[in-house]
Amino acid sequence: MSATTAPPGYTAAPVLPDILPTPKERGRVMGFVNRHPTIVIGGVLVLTMVLIAIFAPLLWTQDPTALAPAKRTRPPSDLYWFGTDMLGRDVYSRVLYGSRVSLTVGFSVAFCAGLIGTTIGLISGFTRGIDAIMMRAMDGLMSIPQILLAIALMALTRASVQNVIIAISITESPRVCRLVRGVVLSLREQPYVEAAIASGTRVPVIIWKHILPNTLAPLMVQATFICASAMITEATLSFIGAGTPPIIPSWGNIMAEGRALWQVKPYIVFFPAIFLSITVLAVNLLGDGLRDALDPRLAKRL
Amino acid sequence: MLACVVRRILATIPVVLLVALFVFSLLYLAPGDPAAIIAGDQATPADVERIRASLGLDRPFVVRFFDWFWHVLSGDLGVSIFTNLPVTHMIAQRIEPTVSLMCLTLILSLSCAIPMGVIAAWKHGTWIDRLVMMTAVFGYSTPVFVVGYLLAYVFALYLDWLPVQGFTSITAGLAPFLRNLILPATALGLVYMALIARITRATMLDVLSQDYVRTAKAKGVGQRGILFVHALKNAAVPIVTIVGIGFAALIGGAVVTESVFAIPGLGRLTVDAILRRDYPVIQGVVLMFSFVYVLVNLGVDLLYTVFDPRIRY
Repeated sequence: MSATTAPPGYTAAPVLPDILPTPKERGRVMGFVNRHPTIVIGGVLVLTMVLIAIFAPLLWTQDPTALAPAKRTRPPSDLYWFGTDMLGRDVYSRVLYGSRVSLTVGFSVAFCAGLIGTTIGLISGFTRGIDAIMMRAMDGLMSIPQILLAIALMALTRASVQNVIIAISITESPRVCRLVRGVVLSLREQPYVEAAIASGTRVPVIIWKHILPNTLAPLMVQATFICASAMITEATLSFIGAGTPPIIPSWGNIMAEGRALWQVKPYIVFFPAIFLSITVLAVNLLGDGLRDALDPRLAKRL
Repeated sequence: MLACVVRRILATIPVVLLVALFVFSLLYLAPGDPAAIIAGDQATPADVERIRASLGLDRPFVVRFFDWFWHVLSGDLGVSIFTNLPVTHMIAQRIEPTVSLMCLTLILSLSCAIPMGVIAAWKHGTWIDRLVMMTAVFGYSTPVFVVGYLLAYVFALYLDWLPVQGFTSITAGLAPFLRNLILPATALGLVYMALIARITRATMLDVLSQDYVRTAKAKGVGQRGILFVHALKNAAVPIVTIVGIGFAALIGGAVVTESVFAIPGLGRLTVDAILRRDYPVIQGVVLMFSFVYVLVNLGVDLLYTVFDPRIRY
């Protein structure tokens, strides 16, 4: 850059650092976007939701639990962006707070169900004696419709976010268990595993080094779908009054409270509904994209 | 053939027993001591013990389970804590709206989803295909109650074509019955449609690349004949499977849909029971729905042999 002297009264613009990606980098990024549009769209949306959840205290305009009976059921305005509910609480702030509950439940359930299911699946895939019993137990669990099982489990305990996570994890783990067991059963017949067994490798080592890495790809895809399903289940449980306790604003709770008034004040129900649907859609898109990327054989079919 | 069917039916018995065991444990673990509740505030510990013995609550778990299961088999699901009515009686009162809703949903979803899936597979890669697939992703990403409120808002409140909520028995005539039920059935069916349309498309794609489809084409079978006669019948097994598995979502969704549309069915009964912590009712409904689910899947397994005679148990 040649140093041109600035006319009097002006200062030369500072040299900008080269922050734009090089054409090569840009090409790589655009290539990824073109090949896996769903991962990018889903990922960006999920990331936005996560950021909203993390920075909710900075973003909300009112205390989400503060009651203001004088200002109840206000329509959306400059002050109350999404209006207020029947107790005068700010729906916008409550919806933002609700993202924390939904995402916490979604991610925690994906992790817990993944962990429980993988452990049981690995063990029963490798030990025939336990396998028969475990699989029958899983059949039994899976024969109870998921939401009803979650409802029944929640009926046994106090309403709390932690109990919701435990209840939904129990209902989701049989699916993971079956998936992992299936992978283990097919891998166990592979020559390299047989070779490992023949050379005297101990079973935990085989599981850890040879089996587990191969289950990770399908497991990740499954975990994404479980995350989406768990968020719907949490909202459903809260909606019918068997989920998150009413003092904690969650999307299901907000809708449950708006239910009585929804014909005259539909926005109380619709704002949390939109957030919930977009979040679940984003996670599902991410899952679809991951599955296509990790298993190209299946991608052509589904 | 008959032996296969009998063997398959016998194989569901352990599953039914397991489900019953899970559901029984639920009530067994439920907080609150029934004997203490019945004895009241003034009772001495000795009174509570006496009542517990007279109810048979002091017997071991296994004995109580089989005693309870025997009662269930003879149609006795216990007595509601809240209304003191037999649970079987309460279920019988509420069963009609739920069964109507589920049947209509089933008819609606199957008649929409299968053609959608077939067309998507036929027009593979075109905008129709993409539209169907996008609708499917939206379908299973949107919770039932969100769809319910949206439909009710548009068609009942805004356009004022249909009633917002409520239920009319089919005995009052088909038109009012359908008018009340069409919105809930559509809301409930969307997830189900999405599942079925996806699997239909996927299996149809598979089947359409088979040799016998090419043969059929070569001998001059029309497009419709190929799709709906040759291909669809061979794609039936996975479709029927997902119909069976998806039935769980249908049951769970019915509970929620009934709340949205104020339908006085089993879903309302469940929600009320949760709010009142009426454990015998919760237990009864969960048990009944689970049995229905097991039976549906038994039916699906038996249908396999119809669609694909090669399948043997």
